[in-house]
Amino acid sequence: MKFGIGNVRLPNVKPPSMLRDRSMPKLLVMIGLGWLSLFFIIPVIVLLFESFNFGDGALLDNYRQALSGTYVRTLGRTLAYAFVTTVVCLILGYWISYYIAFKAEHKTLMLAFVLLPLWIAIIIRYFGVSLFFLPTGPVQQLFGTDFGILFSTTGTIIGLTSALLPFATLPIYNALQSIDEEYIHASQVLGATPLKTLRTVIFPLSLSGIIAGALFVYILAAGSFLAPAILGGPGDFMMANIIEQSFSYSIPLAAALSVVFTVALLILIGIFNHYANISEVLSDL
Amino acid sequence: MSRLSGRLAFFPAILLVYAILLIPIVIVIATSFTVQSAPTLPTDGVSLEWYAELFQNQRLLDAMVVSTIVASATAVVAGIIGTITAFGFVRSEFKMKETLATIMLLPLMISPVITGVAFLRFGGYLQIPRGYPQIILAHSILALPFVFLIVRSRLLTFDERLEDASMIMGANRLETTFNVTIPVIAPAMIAGMLIAFVISFGEFTATQFLVTPSTTTVPIIIFNQIQTGLSPEISALATTLVVIMVIVSILGDWIGS
Amino acid sequence: MLEVKNLTKYYGDLLAVDDVSFRIEEGKFATLLGPSGCGKSTTLHAIAGLIDASSGSVHLRGKDVSDVPPYERNIGLVFQHSALFPHMTVEENLRYGLKMQGFDGDHEAQIEKYLEMVQMLDHADHKPDELSGGQQRRISFARALVYEPDILLLDEPLTGLDRVLREDMRNEIRAIQQEVDVTTLHVTHDQSEALSMSDDVIVMSEGKKEQAGAPAELYDEPATEFVAEFLGQSTKFQGQLAETSSPVVQTESTEIHVGDDTDSSQVDPDDVSVYVRPEEIDVHQAARTNGNINVFTGSISHIEYLGHRAELEVDLDDGTTVTAFSRTSQELAVGDDVTVQFDPDEVIVL
Repeated sequence: MKFGIGNVRLPNVKPPSMLRDRSMPKLLVMIGLGWLSLFFIIPVIVLLFESFNFGDGALLDNYRQALSGTYVRTLGRTLAYAFVTTVVCLILGYWISYYIAFKAEHKTLMLAFVLLPLWIAIIIRYFGVSLFFLPTGPVQQLFGTDFGILFSTTGTIIGLTSALLPFATLPIYNALQSIDEEYIHASQVLGATPLKTLRTVIFPLSLSGIIAGALFVYILAAGSFLAPAILGGPGDFMMANIIEQSFSYSIPLAAALSVVFTVALLILIGIFNHYANISEVLSDL
Repeated sequence: MSRLSGRLAFFPAILLVYAILLIPIVIVIATSFTVQSAPTLPTDGVSLEWYAELFQNQRLLDAMVVSTIVASATAVVAGIIGTITAFGFVRSEFKMKETLATIMLLPLMISPVITGVAFLRFGGYLQIPRGYPQIILAHSILALPFVFLIVRSRLLTFDERLEDASMIMGANRLETTFNVTIPVIAPAMIAGMLIAFVISFGEFTATQFLVTPSTTTVPIIIFNQIQTGLSPEISALATTLVVIMVIVSILGDWIGS
Repeated sequence: MLEVKNLTKYYGDLLAVDDVSFRIEEGKFATLLGPSGCGKSTTLHAIAGLIDASSGSVHLRGKDVSDVPPYERNIGLVFQHSALFPHMTVEENLRYGLKMQGFDGDHEAQIEKYLEMVQMLDHADHKPDELSGGQQRRISFARALVYEPDILLLDEPLTGLDRVLREDMRNEIRAIQQEVDVTTLHVTHDQSEALSMSDDVIVMSEGKKEQAGAPAELYDEPATEFVAEFLGQSTKFQGQLAETSSPVVQTESTEIHVGDDTDSSQVDPDDVSVYVRPEEIDVHQAARTNGNINVFTGSISHIEYLGHRAELEVDLDDGTTVTAFSRTSQELAVGDDVTVQFDPDEVIVL
């Protein structure tokens, strides 16, 4: 590929000192952080203000509501669903990554099919999952029942797994792929069984990939709106759904729920960041 | 022999994984060709009637145009801001650099529902016009971390002596940036922009708060149709989207390599 | 002509270049030689304007360019590993400099002339990644010369090439430099490269200039212990200068006669180093002298055959090990008792 039609030759004037200065990169960082602040961080902070009750009643009235019965249960459900999805994705992702990295003959092709769904809008993939279990879909046509999967917790988890599995597979595969095969051979030569080699050599060396995959899947699953909306039942609403719903009748409540949810998630991420640097982990992407 | 049996042991798992990943996509595409009025598998014949219907539905075509405009603008905005930021981070040293780089990734970590709500409220206060400006700005924030990560990883391996060479050869800093730096990192930048395009094109969760009747995007239409009743037309629309996205992804791969 | 005056560069508290001055006459090929980390690359980059010196000045053709940005200095620079622009063809790489320097004259003819000079005319339309390492270096040379810079800087341009190719390229670079008649400053850590290519060599160590001069001068008359040890091989003796009828250096276990012109005004008589180049040492099996005063006996501890000659290590009776060359036709074997002798006038005393 060829970029640029000709070389740019600027008129022979001294560029402004800012552009010659070596502090220019810092200026660029400021532009980026400024943009992010203006259109993301400040809006979130504004939302934080809106969560407080400045009218009659206590300042934290909205939080009292946001931390009451249904909403706390929804928060718990959200974190639990995300956890289950993460575990399922890690198991399946490790399995397939291990196969592709060490056994498969057509690695590139197999990997491409794992990654292909990432390019397709998530709503289409959830729609596909629902089509599979709908009365018009193959499962009911064949078995006459959807096994209670559609519009249920199971349906939600299946949807989330289908949507997020590539995010677990990619970093695990990268980690497995970069293991020096010498270590594996050495372990085998020293008489370790395949299972022991997996447990004592391969698994520890792929831990960084597992951590990265877990982080991706957990964050994305916890924030999911579409999976419960399309595949779940009324009792499967997660935080994103509750926030969207409450937004239509009480913005301060929606704001308080957003804050509670974000804080809960950031605490989890913070604990995680304590053990593994997120910036590094995410650059595996 | 043992290698073969070793591989056989994996087959159920492989089958399951690819089924989970690919059946949803295959089924959407398959049901778009049905002759029935419900989205069934086309076991009793294949037809393109739903595509014909699709291309007569002005609302859908409008949404297609809106999505394309939004995604293109998002790709440009996120592409430029993401590249600028990545450049700054790679080329300078300052306190808390790692922490600030992590902050650049915050839009990935916070649910898009919250991004959408926050942006709608904030856009109202700031009087950012509803419709395109709000949607594009919000999408550019959601896509920013991806462009940032991709361009940054390319810049980390950029040979800065190329810039020295250019300056020795008589180009000043700005000319060097245009003639050498940008062309060399362009493939990564374009790959990042294509990802931004794809993210924007499929985004629903934040977008639902920001759309107006005249700027409804395709994912919003798909969601509404799923809620109101199932027609194979949704499959046809989704399939069209899949085709567009796969073309974009192949384009991205080709440029990236 | 290039002149560097009192160049000093600090990186934070670290002194990378310490008050270095030298001068290269028009059309000459000079080499900055020193081990890695000696400040030679920093010096080169300061001359190019890619880094700002902490103090001191750089003069090109009599003009102080210390505050001139690199793109206005009219310099050609060949980088380690080429640094060709990967998104441009060979021809575009050359054209870029002509365009950016605003070169007056026929760009096409210029590109053709210099590609011809490095024998790469056939590859004008190739991208750099389609070329071998050696071909990339050639293009890199043509690119640095095509706009006829006032001075050519070479920053370890042969790094990473295999030995045979390096030796070919040395001769070629020297030939091109003489053909173009461009003042050239070459930076390398490879002493044989420096000695074989240069009109002048400037030896640097730990940020300081040790000595400058023609290759033979540096080899035969090193001014410092560093230069004596860094350039070529030698056997070193240390001791005190004893003023007898003829000058003698007294080491712990033996005494070495040195040249008659040695006196305490040139060296610190209490700490004298004597270097003997291997080619100055005669090694013979029989105990026969050839009139030298410095005669020692010992036995051969190691022989390394280098084809045309052999490198010998001889353990003298007093325990010192000397390195000498011998013709391979001489029949010597490890363990042989030999006589070692060298001329007092041929030793280096510092």
